[in-house]
Amino acid sequence: MSLKRMVLILCGFYCVMGIMPLFVGDTDYIMNILVMILIWAVVASCWDVIMGFAGIFSFGQVAFYVMGAYASAILSVSLDIPPVFAIMMAGVITGMLGVLVGLPCLKLAGPYIALVTFAVHMTLIPFLKGPLGRAIGSGGSQGILTIPPINLLGFAFSSEQLVPFFYLTLFLTIICTLILAFIIKSYWGTAFLALKDSENFATSLGISAFRYKLMVFAITSSITGLFGALYAHYVGMLSTKMLSMDVFTILMIMIVIGGIGKYPGVVVGAVITVTINQLLAPVGMYRPLIMGAMVVVLVLFLRDGVIGLAQKFSPLQRKLG
Amino acid sequence: MVFEIIDVIISGLINGSVYALMAVGLTLVYGVTKAFNFAYGSFYNMGGYFAWMLLIPVGLIGGYFSVFFVAIPVFFVVGYLLEKILISPLRKHDDWEMKVMMLTLGLSLFMDFGYQAVFGPRIKSLPGMIEGTLELGQVVLFHQDIVIFILSVGGMICFGWLLNNTRTGMAVQAVAQNPAGAKIVGIPKDFIFAATFAISTIMVGLGGILLSQKTFIDPMGSTNIMIKAWVITAFGGMGSISGSLYAAFILGMLEAFVGWHFGMIYVQIATLTLLLVTLTIRPRGLMGRE
Amino acid sequence: MLIAKNVTKKFGELVAVNNLSFEVKKGQVYGIAGPNGAGKSTVYNLITGNYSYEGKIEFNGQDITGLPPHRIAKAGIARTFQIPEIFPSLTVQKSIRLGSRFGARGGLDLEHTDKIISFVGLTSERFQNTRLLNLLGKKKLMIGAALATKPEILMLDEPMAGSNAQEIKSMMELIKKINQELGITIIIIEHFMKVLTELTETLLIIESGTMICCDKPEIVTSDPRVIESYLGDAYAESK
Repeated sequence: MSLKRMVLILCGFYCVMGIMPLFVGDTDYIMNILVMILIWAVVASCWDVIMGFAGIFSFGQVAFYVMGAYASAILSVSLDIPPVFAIMMAGVITGMLGVLVGLPCLKLAGPYIALVTFAVHMTLIPFLKGPLGRAIGSGGSQGILTIPPINLLGFAFSSEQLVPFFYLTLFLTIICTLILAFIIKSYWGTAFLALKDSENFATSLGISAFRYKLMVFAITSSITGLFGALYAHYVGMLSTKMLSMDVFTILMIMIVIGGIGKYPGVVVGAVITVTINQLLAPVGMYRPLIMGAMVVVLVLFLRDGVIGLAQKFSPLQRKLG
Repeated sequence: MVFEIIDVIISGLINGSVYALMAVGLTLVYGVTKAFNFAYGSFYNMGGYFAWMLLIPVGLIGGYFSVFFVAIPVFFVVGYLLEKILISPLRKHDDWEMKVMMLTLGLSLFMDFGYQAVFGPRIKSLPGMIEGTLELGQVVLFHQDIVIFILSVGGMICFGWLLNNTRTGMAVQAVAQNPAGAKIVGIPKDFIFAATFAISTIMVGLGGILLSQKTFIDPMGSTNIMIKAWVITAFGGMGSISGSLYAAFILGMLEAFVGWHFGMIYVQIATLTLLLVTLTIRPRGLMGRE
Repeated sequence: MLIAKNVTKKFGELVAVNNLSFEVKKGQVYGIAGPNGAGKSTVYNLITGNYSYEGKIEFNGQDITGLPPHRIAKAGIARTFQIPEIFPSLTVQKSIRLGSRFGARGGLDLEHTDKIISFVGLTSERFQNTRLLNLLGKKKLMIGAALATKPEILMLDEPMAGSNAQEIKSMMELIKKINQELGITIIIIEHFMKVLTELTETLLIIESGTMICCDKPEIVTSDPRVIESYLGDAYAESK
């Protein structure tokens, strides 16, 4: 996708999001959905960068999100670190954990990477619930219930006042989206694509598989962790429920709807998915059932996501081939 | 103390034998079709629920004997159709490996919550196949454990025989070793893919029927089983049947000892650590080739 | 310039390269030939650091044994692949610039890459997706991307495979041009003996990973061991 079109879609998305509070600012229910859309859009974008662009089958995206959330919560609750710094530190910590997870993945073939990263996800649950987690302050199976809100210059951004928090999130989202868009369009992004297409050819041209793969892990996990941390201070409580499979599935639906490797399609995917998920709330336990079925159907029938659909029906695109 | 350890070893052996049955199915399907099935654990639970349904509400005559008799063809058909409908259409495109993983993960969620919707969220228990114990001095063996061990080992031997002595079995091996060559000599690849998937469904489904008698049927437990089966196949070397066998027993033992000595909460951490360490040292697993 | 000393590579039981030593001199066109499965491509993969091995390889007096592939590329060794490798997600221009950006010691050099694109004859396809190129185009792209790294040695792996007479001729001219105009040393793996005798100054024949002989092409092609193991009697008679 051309840079122009990418910027156009992203600008359109953030402008619409930016003016939404003017209309629905006093409806907490909708504001909450909007905040979640912003957060998930970035998390899903990170997944698209590592999976769609770099071609690394990482299934640890939710794990990094939760790691960031817990890291920041533990830092601010157990060590009394101000939330703003705790969030930043959480970003750094998850970045480092990302490199740590990435290291064994470097030598592994695709499906093994999925397995290892998914294993990290699965290990987190007993770890956080068990005595090991409790020792570092995870609160065991009860979780952490008293996470302080973000406090900036004496002003508390919390879920009590959604509009300020929304704009704070919007600000952070735009920065991170710019970083991601820049990476995708820079030579780093080209190096990721080249390594995905043909690792042998790419390394024979001087691209270090080691450095760029670890870089993908570091960047995506760091940004993901940052937004996990932000979420923790937004909702004020955490538990290992965040690691349940339906959260994972929601994220997967976003990237499938958006189109894998079709950035910024995932952003559109996030809007649609978060909305559907909220609309499905009344059906209770049937919600994950429907979400699961959606993944199956979408993977089968929506090959390149909404971006693929748009390209298919756009006459201009057809002319350009 | 000594007898406790013997108990732990026995429990490791029995779990290991069922794990072996499941892991061999998984490694076969990966070796032949290269499809990474994330819904494997849900097929395990399908076995448990299927047996429960036939035994408790339906009250099938002949007990477990009839259950196995009905289950094998049913699981085959289910596996065959799933491969044909869901996985084989994806194969046409380059990124099918990733798409298969995503699809089966979605399928797994669908199945797990489907079980919950149909059978309720509470765990269910299956009646034992056989009552009674065998006492050898102070060591007490449950007849049921012995039968489970014999059936899963027997199942594997039977499977190995089929693989080496039937036309279909040999075709399966041919496709695993050289898909292009197999096509040239006229082996219907699509049929073999679907059949392999179906056979693996049978193996994990039977594993579910056998092991659910010792544990419970937990609608949310499928991810654990899936991870276990995958850890074994990756640990043993994907596509290597003998590797899976060793790995299954090693993991069964490890689980039994860690669970006994440190507590159940550490079992999963231990297995996954084992996986991470193995793959860091030997990226292709224990018996995998370079 | 490139010296291999007692290089051995085993894959389990199979000895793919057996105690091989050779030297490529600066400015040479150096040919490697041998029957299928003789270990020719493996030799390339050892030089470029794709596999670990026993023995030692030196380049410009520097020991490059054990260096990772991208470091070896940066040191000045470029290569192509027997089965064309391309980047289906990228255009011709982007692929070639990638070589310059990551492989050349000075970093991205747009002037140089433009020159390379016209040098290999892909000017009209430069904005095309590499997926759309034909076989010859893909080979040219691989050579172009390799040249963009400003190498001192270019290692070609069966550049003529699957080509017709016309394409072989143009490829041979391109190789000569690379060697003479750009002053790049060339190693070439090839099956066409005519190509090798015309292009190369030294020819190395290997079989089962072992060197059979290594000398000027006209001497090599009349060596009885080479005729027996590789060329066959028909070749000797046709001469």
